Amino acid sequence: MFADLKSASIEVWEHRELLEQLTRRDIKLRYKQAAMGFLWAVFMPCLIVLSGLIVRYAMAQISGATLRPSDIANIAVKGVGWAFFVGALGFATASLVGNANLVTKIYFPREVLPLSSVGAQSFDSSIGIITLVIILPFLGVRIHPSLAWVPLLLLLLVLFTTGVSLFLSCANLFFRDVKYIVQVVLMFGIFFTPIFFEPAMLGPKGAYLAMLNPLTGILEGLRLSVVEGHNLLEPLTVVVKGVPRVAWDPWELAYSAVISVAGVIGSAVMFRRLQHLFAEYV
Amino acid sequence: MSDVAISMDEVWKKFRRGERHDSLRDLVPAVARRILHGAPPADQLEAGDFWALRDVSFDVKRGDALGIIGHNGAGKSTLLKILTRLLRPTLGSYVTHGRIGALIEVTAGFHTDLTGRENIYLNGSIIGMKRKDIEKRFDAIVEFSGIGEFIDTPVKRYSSGMNARLGFSIAAHLEPEILIVDEVLSVGDYTFQGKCIRWMQDLLQNGTTVIFVSHNMDAVLSLCNSALLLDRGKVLAKGELNKVVAEYYNSGGRWKPELLAEPRVTTVEFSSSIGSELVVAPGARVVFRHTFEAKANSELTPGFFVNRGGKTVLDTTYARMLGHSLRINAGETASVEWSMAFNLPAGVYEIGYHVGEWGGGYHDYKSRGIIVTVADDPRVKGESFVDLRLEERRHNGRVLESVRADPGILR
Repeated sequence: MFADLKSASIEVWEHRELLEQLTRRDIKLRYKQAAMGFLWAVFMPCLIVLSGLIVRYAMAQISGATLRPSDIANIAVKGVGWAFFVGALGFATASLVGNANLVTKIYFPREVLPLSSVGAQSFDSSIGIITLVIILPFLGVRIHPSLAWVPLLLLLLVLFTTGVSLFLSCANLFFRDVKYIVQVVLMFGIFFTPIFFEPAMLGPKGAYLAMLNPLTGILEGLRLSVVEGHNLLEPLTVVVKGVPRVAWDPWELAYSAVISVAGVIGSAVMFRRLQHLFAEYV
Repeated sequence: MSDVAISMDEVWKKFRRGERHDSLRDLVPAVARRILHGAPPADQLEAGDFWALRDVSFDVKRGDALGIIGHNGAGKSTLLKILTRLLRPTLGSYVTHGRIGALIEVTAGFHTDLTGRENIYLNGSIIGMKRKDIEKRFDAIVEFSGIGEFIDTPVKRYSSGMNARLGFSIAAHLEPEILIVDEVLSVGDYTFQGKCIRWMQDLLQNGTTVIFVSHNMDAVLSLCNSALLLDRGKVLAKGELNKVVAEYYNSGGRWKPELLAEPRVTTVEFSSSIGSELVVAPGARVVFRHTFEAKANSELTPGFFVNRGGKTVLDTTYARMLGHSLRINAGETASVEWSMAFNLPAGVYEIGYHVGEWGGGYHDYKSRGIIVTVADDPRVKGESFVDLRLEERRHNGRVLESVRADPGILR
């Protein structure tokens, strides 16, 4: 296992210029001959925020609460993160099959193909993040010391996404229906990930179930540290209708971190062990 | 540093015919079967499996040029894919010493929406060049390709020749220690092909090891110093260039994958301006006729070739009847008559003939149909024959005599 990881990291490092070129290619192709241009990068997060607001508005109508500007901020922060995850997986899943002409003709570490999809999506999402940085102050978000958590959370998000990307690109090469399964799962995934809502809204048991999703810890962590200014090392309870409920547990972060790191390692080892079959099966 | 660049040791490669299970739905029963019956051993064939390579061993010394030849489906591409690490052998092992550069489908890394300039950087890094190397050689690449002012045009607007030339030029600047070339010389026009050959000869002179796969025996004979003949995955011959190439021609008729019309040459006739003698004067007009039949209705491509001492002097294999088609019904016979000026120097020539099916694999083949001797000609000695005549002789500007030689050649 260590040998696989070692050879993978050495080869990818040796081919870092190729990774850069492929990432540039993916970015260029998204914006070449595209009517929306850079607006595309913020299009999906905008749609997520808009649908989140509709859901929250409907919930507010029933519960009698009112929508606050911080609600928009909450959804926007998690929405950008979710858009990154969905976008990267969409491109990464097809990355090996879509580059079959390369996979069957030229040798290079195949990891760079899904990695470049994640890289290109990171570029898109950084436009989304810059947009957020400009907008958030208008929604009442202030600078807190808890912002120091953001780099770690972003790193975990990229790690988790990379792990899933490596796994799915490889799976889709062997089984072409993986692409469709991923499409369907991502379409409904937004309801299984707390984007439009917070885990605490699901009740005590529901909150813990939602936390089984590794993205919950990362995205909720981002929301709490950016919008609420909460230190993630401390638990947080919110009172809903007079009953205290768990809104954050530091173990959630540890859980997401372990899953992300283990996921990347596991997928990378699997990818490495199977890649000699790629040219034959693609 | 050892002086062996590539060493292949008893390499076998198994492939599967037809479809594999490639959706998750098919995986479950396949896995269940595997658990119940156990995985099959690597050295045995299951139903639908076949060996694409069987027990292939060879060594290439540093600085040598090995030509790999064989008819379609012989396993040449599989062998190259193993050498370039795209496939892993089922059994056996191989070692390579030195940085490998492969010229196999040189435009594979291109993206049609990107410009020539962008594709040079992209494709260059895909085939393993460093960014600063690409920058350093950028002008040379553009120069070699002859793309010129179109370098900032998306390659989707290039002609296929321009595309291939650009791809080749990028690959040509990789400077590998071992170069693997697969039929790329067929790209571009004659000027460009000449450029490519000169470039490969330069590489060889600088000590690069070359593995060259081609159907073009002339190119193999002029570039390589040894050859390897593959036939249905097996090494049929290896070593001395001329012998292996001759073996390639001899093995042609034995290759019978799917028999359909099975065209067959029945008779062969030869005549020259001096009758049916098998000794002719250089430059004599000769006529060569062959008759054939087929078991089923088919379209045939007859042809002939001339060998001398194991080397191909000329080959009409791909003449495709010079643009004419030849249809034949089952049981019928047809014949083709070729005529040419036998502009060859004195020597013994073997005229071989073949007839194949349009697009089919089968062809009937004989490499020594007729042995023709070209007699000595007092006018010219050397490698080729030219119809040399002395037309006029002058002395101090004064015409001494005007000669109109009549070599007795039928025109």
